[in-house]
Amino acid sequence: MFRNYFKIAFRNLLRNRSYSVINIIGLAIGIASTALIFLWVEDELTFNNYFTNKSELFKVKNSQTYDGKTYVFDATPGPLAQGIKTNIPGIKNTARCTWGDQLLVSIDDKNIYSQGNYVDPTFLKMTHLEFLKGNASNAFSELNSIVLTEKTADKFFGSIDIIGKSLKINNAQNYIVSGIIKDLPLNTSFRFEWLAPFKIFENQNDWLKQWGNNGIITYVETDQNSNIDNINKKIEKYIATKTEGSTVSLSIYPMTRWRLYDNFDGRGKEIDGSVKYVRLFSIIAWIILFIACINFMNLATASSEKRAREVGVRKALGSNKKTLITQFLSESLLMSVVSAILAVVIVYLTLPSFNTLVQKQLTVSIFSPFHISGLLCITLLCGFISGSYPAFYLSSFNPVSVLKGLRLNINSGASTIRKGLVITQFSVSVILIICTIIIYQQIQHVKNRDIGYNKEGLLYTGLKGKLYENFGSIKNDLLKIADVKNACLSTNQLLQLGSNSGDFEWEGKDPSKSVLITLESVSPEYIATSGVQLKEGRDFYANTIADSTNIIINEALANMLGKKSAIGSQIYRHNGTKYTVVGVIKDFLYNSMYTKAQPMMLFSDLSNINYLTIRVNTNQNLTATVSKIEAVIKSHNPGYPFDYRFVDEQFDKLFRIEALISKLAGIFAALAIFISCLGLFGLASYIAERRAKEISIRKVLGASIQLLTMLLTKDFLKLVLIACIIAFPIAGWFMYNWLQDYEYHIQLNAWIFILAASIAILIAVTTVSFKAIKAAIANPIKSLRTE
Amino acid sequence: MIKITDLEKIYRTEEIETVALNKISFEIKEGEFVAIMGPSGCGKSTLLNIIGLLDDLDGGAFVFNDTDVSGFNERKRAEMRKHNIGFVFQSFNLIDELTVFENVELPLIYTGVSTADRKKIVDEVLDKIQIAHRKNHYPQQLSGGQQQRVAVARAVVNKPKLILADEPTGNLDSRNGNDVMQLLTDLNEQGTTIIMVTHSEHDARYTHRIINMLDGAIVTENLKS
Repeated sequence: MFRNYFKIAFRNLLRNRSYSVINIIGLAIGIASTALIFLWVEDELTFNNYFTNKSELFKVKNSQTYDGKTYVFDATPGPLAQGIKTNIPGIKNTARCTWGDQLLVSIDDKNIYSQGNYVDPTFLKMTHLEFLKGNASNAFSELNSIVLTEKTADKFFGSIDIIGKSLKINNAQNYIVSGIIKDLPLNTSFRFEWLAPFKIFENQNDWLKQWGNNGIITYVETDQNSNIDNINKKIEKYIATKTEGSTVSLSIYPMTRWRLYDNFDGRGKEIDGSVKYVRLFSIIAWIILFIACINFMNLATASSEKRAREVGVRKALGSNKKTLITQFLSESLLMSVVSAILAVVIVYLTLPSFNTLVQKQLTVSIFSPFHISGLLCITLLCGFISGSYPAFYLSSFNPVSVLKGLRLNINSGASTIRKGLVITQFSVSVILIICTIIIYQQIQHVKNRDIGYNKEGLLYTGLKGKLYENFGSIKNDLLKIADVKNACLSTNQLLQLGSNSGDFEWEGKDPSKSVLITLESVSPEYIATSGVQLKEGRDFYANTIADSTNIIINEALANMLGKKSAIGSQIYRHNGTKYTVVGVIKDFLYNSMYTKAQPMMLFSDLSNINYLTIRVNTNQNLTATVSKIEAVIKSHNPGYPFDYRFVDEQFDKLFRIEALISKLAGIFAALAIFISCLGLFGLASYIAERRAKEISIRKVLGASIQLLTMLLTKDFLKLVLIACIIAFPIAGWFMYNWLQDYEYHIQLNAWIFILAASIAILIAVTTVSFKAIKAAIANPIKSLRTE
Repeated sequence: MIKITDLEKIYRTEEIETVALNKISFEIKEGEFVAIMGPSGCGKSTLLNIIGLLDDLDGGAFVFNDTDVSGFNERKRAEMRKHNIGFVFQSFNLIDELTVFENVELPLIYTGVSTADRKKIVDEVLDKIQIAHRKNHYPQQLSGGQQQRVAVARAVVNKPKLILADEPTGNLDSRNGNDVMQLLTDLNEQGTTIIMVTHSEHDARYTHRIINMLDGAIVTENLKS
């Protein structure tokens, strides 16, 4: 019995070769894109699963409220880790960790920069890092020890048998390799090449003893089954018990939410992070699959008249409805199995490029039980979804009228459903096109935003070795290079200003509300080098000491001072230090390119300097200029590689997520359109075939080829237009909400919708008219000679 | 009106060559009512298609209305056809999706007659064939005879000089068949030239002249007295 079904199913696939190809290609692409999306989703959902005790790991979150707005940071004070471990029950372990440090590592004559963290020894135990050499309990028993990952050890020494070897760090002290750990997979929150004892960092930084200075991360491991709410209740006002009057509130934040949430609104409440993209793309995956299934439903019901005789004969020979349903379902199942096999091939072929696109290391294995069962489920689902409606429709034919050759009138209901399905396909396509255009536009809009200075031709390097003390002579030598305009020092690089404080008062300010102000220490050349505009007052004097109590503020802060001119205004720190405003600069953007500039102060102060920024001319000599700069810097700072970045390149990287989303939306829009058009093409050929006689009659009566093409195309055009009407409000609503996430955003514009509709219409009309023209130029007597 | 000399039509497939029309020559004058008769496969429908400018010829000459149309391309043939020729088929070939009125209106749309004129002309024609009361019905709601009358109405609505009828009564009972033949005779009497392919001796009696065909050639031409 089943053999008979499959035999017929197989022969039908072969006989209607072009329909089968359309169905199978469409479905295979659908399954393959769904599979790729689900691999990505799987990777996101299993983030940090590498840590078996993931549910017991947390980091401490620090919430502070300024002027009614709550900011949530990861930064915590140095003594916190020890304090909460001793005082709060339920906390098993805590570990301090730095934000990430770059070390210059010298082996023989090789100098390499390497990124890692200083951590407490408890960190090694809490995370159960797998030691290939050495062990977690005594890796940090010596002060100057260092643990390397497998890959780093290989990079440094070409081997992992290197316990006890010594690494020269920052051309100063030596660290002894005390352990080698297995590389962490990419889908974990930690990125380090080495780990070294926190004690080293602690010895160099006295501020770690202060409760008011938030400068490190604190990780927490809880006891199994401990009550997190209780811990949070106890930890919330913990800082206030150490520094009187502190309004800081703490909480522990679970590792399970680091990746997909870790996003907070203005009241400090957790909101969705990248989980919204996981949800969005899962939905898109299902929709694309459904679009592909629609093709089968449409073509199967459309060509049903051809199968009607077979149904009639089978029914007359005693087949009942149930066996017919089974038969048609087995056809669609066979087709989806063939598609799935093709899809697996597509996935294997496209996975490397997909990995590059999403910057992940996704792997697929048809031997992994999880993947194979996933694929099987999708295949069965496709078979059933695409087969269900045609099966019930075809099996319901009345054998008598079918065999008598009467025209089937049940077709009108089926054609309504078919139209609905085509409209669904094109609505989705149009929505995706609109989203792609808007996301792309928004990215361009922000990228082209005037950020307050010319970001091209600015390069910066971290201050290493003797760069700081030799700055005077370095600057002199740099300025001798033809295309170098200026150079300055600063605490942070221009795009990311990391220090802020609410510790300031001025005349007329409400003392009960503190204002969070960004602080940046700079050398006097800062404004001239960056190209930030001075609006009022003067620049810093070349002599830093002359300006030690003078500050330059930005417009945002100047407006808060509430005076006609901010020059000469006094601003006080709570500890009594008094600053005088000598200049006001125009706002420039930092940290977020989507918001307005936050209030900020510039100090002429060289005590806390990390970066050297150089302004060069951007012309065809740029490469030569950079190598000249490198020569100057190396001559003043021997033994250090010249590691630099361009501000405009870093700026582009700020839009990584948006750029990815825009690319993915574009790809899925193209796929959705392609699959829909495959179906449309099939449907158009069927309709052209079915209406061949009518076309011939019209032609005999004098209709021109253009008129006939239009006649056939018009009906499909109507469907696509309806699809546009459905798509517009959905896409509009969706994109309006997406744009609200960005303070600086484009307005929804009618032309975007018109453009998307035109694209969809153009593609659909091209697809259909291809068939329509063919039908229109056919010789009419062929179809009329039926008798 | 029609002058055909040494007309040839050959169908080729990979293996065989079939001569459908073998050097046929004849002439039809304006106002004639001619029947073409002969057994199935003798080439009468092929001949009718060529006369109707639906098909092209492989050899010989074809002069229609003093114009040599044998070298015409598809577009020129369509233009000539649209203004001069009306068709009536055995299986009516009405468009199921259109009403009676809309079916009859079609040729006028294609020749660019204005909406108001179309309505007037169609109503007039439908009135003449006594089917005006069913003008908003669909073809499937009519009897075979009524459908063929609508088809004839559609063929004449443009006032063509020539009507080609391919077994117009083949799908009708004798009463309905006679009605349709009467209609064609009336049209002929008003001056329209008619060429009709038929199997029916009875129908042939309505015509002035019978052309008998066999195996792609004309055997006899009987001018009726």
